[in-house]
Amino acid sequence: CMGPSMLPTFNMDGDIVAIEHLSKRYKRLSVGDVVVCISPVNPGRAVCKRILGMEGDHVCEDPTLREVERKYIDVPEGHVWLSGDNLSNSNDSRTYGPVPYGLIRGRVFARVWPDPGWIANNFLPYTSYP
Amino acid sequence: MTSRLWSNPNARAAIKTLTWFPLLFFFLENGYSTATVQGRSMQPTFNPDSNKLSPDIVLLSHWGAIGHKFQRGEVVAMTSPHNPDLTITKRIIALEGDSVRPLPQSDQKSVVYVPKGHCWVEGDERFHSRDSNAFGTVPMGLINSKVVYILWPLSRFGKVEVKPNVERVSAGSVDSMRL
Repeated sequence: CMGPSMLPTFNMDGDIVAIEHLSKRYKRLSVGDVVVCISPVNPGRAVCKRILGMEGDHVCEDPTLREVERKYIDVPEGHVWLSGDNLSNSNDSRTYGPVPYGLIRGRVFARVWPDPGWIANNFLPYTSYP
Repeated sequence: MTSRLWSNPNARAAIKTLTWFPLLFFFLENGYSTATVQGRSMQPTFNPDSNKLSPDIVLLSHWGAIGHKFQRGEVVAMTSPHNPDLTITKRIIALEGDSVRPLPQSDQKSVVYVPKGHCWVEGDERFHSRDSNAFGTVPMGLINSKVVYILWPLSRFGKVEVKPNVERVSAGSVDSMRL
């Protein structure tokens, strides 16, 4: 992994992660998974981002904008919406739009180095606030 | 125990044959493989006669697609942007930096600029093809392989031609300022 877009989950440089390919093949990816996919802007490059919306979901395009400026979008069929954890410095679906599912290469399930540990999907189901 | 297995000539032949499998698998995944073409979207290049019972069989080259260097007019096989289980064959009409005029029946704008890392693909049969006229530019990372040869039927055996389309494409160099 390289780049600041997934801080603090991954460092800017030098992290080695483990990827599994079974989830994408059997359609077990879900919102909140960290995935590696081929960049839509540069086919020779891979990017590491988190899935924020699967096909059919209604996602907020840019949560860093103020409430009144936010736009919402429906993720089209066969696409996913990717987002880096470090929203202040991340080139993700806010820049290049929804990404076709066919570009995803695998799901990151563990960090091997420098701090070995599982990478979990920490997203909780949405419950409305009282 | 292993030496007893090795002294059995049948087992030895079987094991020696099995050692070729990883090499064969690697070759088929990353070198050349064959595929059948279904559907009418690439008529008359593939399946020109819709009434025939057997669809065309073509040779795919994965080597050629790895460097992501394509020419306008090449036929490629790619994962469909709307259905990741489907592989579609289309012809590349425009590369990044070009401006394309979509066909009249599409609901795209009148001139589409192909952004960096994307391409515009069309089927040869314009009225029976779900291609970029329907879903817009596609990222080049979705392209798996180039379709290089038609293997079956033998009457049309031969290289798949590269047919660039100059009428509706104005080629531009990739201008980093416009990205």
